[in-house]
Amino acid sequence: MNDLSEFFGRRLPAAQAVPELEDGQIAVQRIGQRYQCQRCQQWLAATDRLANGAWYCRQCLQMGRLTSQTKLYTISEPNRFSLPPGKILTWQGQLSAEQQRAATLVKTAVQQGHNQLLWAVTGAGKTEIVYPAMAWALAQRWRVAWVSPRVDVCLELAPRLQQAFRGVSQCLLYGDQSTPYTYSQLTTCTIHQLLRFEHAFDWLVVDEVDAFPLATSPMLQRAISRAEKKTGCHLFLTATPGEQLQRQIRRGQLTTTYLPLRYHGFLLPRIDLRLAWRWRMQLTKQRLPAKLIRQLRDYGCTQQRFLLFVPHVRDLPEIMQALNQAGIQGGASVHAGDPERAAKVQAMRDQQLPFLVTTTILERGVTFPNIAVVILGGDDPVFSTAALVQIAGRAGRSARYPRGEVTCYVQSQTQAVRRAQRMIDRLNRQGKQQGGRWPQ
Amino acid sequence: MICVWCQQQFQPIIDLKALLTWRPLPAPALCATCTTRLTPITGPSCPTCGRRQATTSICYDCERWQAEPLKNHAVFQYDAGMKAYMQQYKFQGDYALRLALQAPLRQALRRQAYDVLVPIPIDQQTWLTRGFNQVTGWLSGQPFQQALTVKHAHKEQPQSAKTREQRLVTPQPFALVPQAADLLRGQRVLLLDDVYTTGRTLRHAAQQIYFGGAKAVTSLTLAR
Ligand SMILES: [Zn+2]
Ligand SMILES: [Zn+2]
Ligand SMILES: [Zn+2]
Repeated sequence: MNDLSEFFGRRLPAAQAVPELEDGQIAVQRIGQRYQCQRCQQWLAATDRLANGAWYCRQCLQMGRLTSQTKLYTISEPNRFSLPPGKILTWQGQLSAEQQRAATLVKTAVQQGHNQLLWAVTGAGKTEIVYPAMAWALAQRWRVAWVSPRVDVCLELAPRLQQAFRGVSQCLLYGDQSTPYTYSQLTTCTIHQLLRFEHAFDWLVVDEVDAFPLATSPMLQRAISRAEKKTGCHLFLTATPGEQLQRQIRRGQLTTTYLPLRYHGFLLPRIDLRLAWRWRMQLTKQRLPAKLIRQLRDYGCTQQRFLLFVPHVRDLPEIMQALNQAGIQGGASVHAGDPERAAKVQAMRDQQLPFLVTTTILERGVTFPNIAVVILGGDDPVFSTAALVQIAGRAGRSARYPRGEVTCYVQSQTQAVRRAQRMIDRLNRQGKQQGGRWPQ
Repeated sequence: MICVWCQQQFQPIIDLKALLTWRPLPAPALCATCTTRLTPITGPSCPTCGRRQATTSICYDCERWQAEPLKNHAVFQYDAGMKAYMQQYKFQGDYALRLALQAPLRQALRRQAYDVLVPIPIDQQTWLTRGFNQVTGWLSGQPFQQALTVKHAHKEQPQSAKTREQRLVTPQPFALVPQAADLLRGQRVLLLDDVYTTGRTLRHAAQQIYFGGAKAVTSLTLAR
């Protein structure tokens, strides 16, 4: 007999006919005058046709081409999991009082089957806050997925979940991986991977729910609701909810747990704004603002490691060269399409690099202890309010170094920058009410 | 306008010369960024296989093939960008990407002297799974003759999975179609293929075309 577990809760094309499966469903179907892909639900263009007459979907081509000659097969989720003999939660850490309060609220909501949002500031330790609820869900033999629009978030998360729930079968799924799929109780994956699932999960945790590209992609939003069982529910996690979520919160449409204080009890670092008049002009002459150079040299002298955020990929070579000429050397640059991206981020984590120059890809999901944050060109439209709050949130995250410096160089004030400053101030006011204090 | 490769919106750049010719402007399929991912072969190249190189003398690979000369031209270099293109077009089966190379191929064909254009065929199994012949996909109205077929039960390993040595000893995969002699007799034939790697495939094809009575056979590939 074939191992059919890969079809549990999924919709897959079969390489060969599988006698155990009932007749599949045509993958690209005619509906009215148009054709629709049954995996990603997108409509085909009138030109998306092969020479042999078959229709094919270009939108989800990266996951293997589906055509009007392909069939998709599914087996409804049987929740065939065995529970580990000992404790499900093998995490050794301790939640702070504030985290414990939030964790209890999250667990109560999932026990009641509610859709909910956990709004926790950067560095609040939101992953650990979910652990008690997760342990409860796994004990019910629920199938659970922890998903994020960002692959870096998944890559950082998977080993932590592996440690925290050691006896639970787990798998990690993302675009370029080579390891095969295994049927598991806890799946960590990018949201794209959910396109292969159907009504599989009793509970979905959607991490960084406001991050690109989820916020702007109806295809991915639908993928989430399709991957969830009809009886299932979900938890959204974010530090910076977008307009739409904030509206749902105000209208009381979403059970919301709010945590305005970092796990170590110190307030969020504020954004220190500095003017850098016409820095782009200077950059064409391979120079950076004198103030910035002085600051980075000081970091070099005190062995303070830092992240320098810049607006665009094309800025990276020029800025690296200007830094080099100013004697600020030994770091690396990184961007989304960089083939060595993962290796460089790891080198930074391992304290092998004194600094990274990066685009907004490192705005979230990555944690480096004791890091200073500098933004050059924070008034560029690529830096949204949420991005700036997230970037500032990279600093001061560890309990040993809660005092993080965040400096933002701009040519002019923009609304996004002012809003980010106001949001941090507002969160800090609320944090103070819960006993938050400034680090010394 | 939407780029067929990256699917981003772009503004096509219209040059003055094209505007002044009063002909309908061909819509560009690729945005500026995607265009630069492919490298056209200009300047010196190997006179036998069309590979880009510093001199115009015969390259090392072709030197070893002296016994069966076949003159090939190539349009693009087979570099990382072209590999990415082929990966998406041929192996992922994104037929829409054929549009990206129709215009350069049209120009390249204009520079060739031939009577009959013969594209390299694909076998039945590939036709069923891929759903198109990647070579004829690049043609946009140019007449061609499918004078060759792939022999039955030929398909075993794909070329790309073989070592160079394995490819060089591959048995003849092609046969002539029944009416081939009428199409080929006394003609100058141009073979068309996607990538020139060892030239083995093209030489097999050329051999059959000569059997069919062609006067001369040359070849053009999209990449080398
Ligand atoms: Zn699709
Ligand atoms: Zn493009
Ligand atoms: Zn050569």
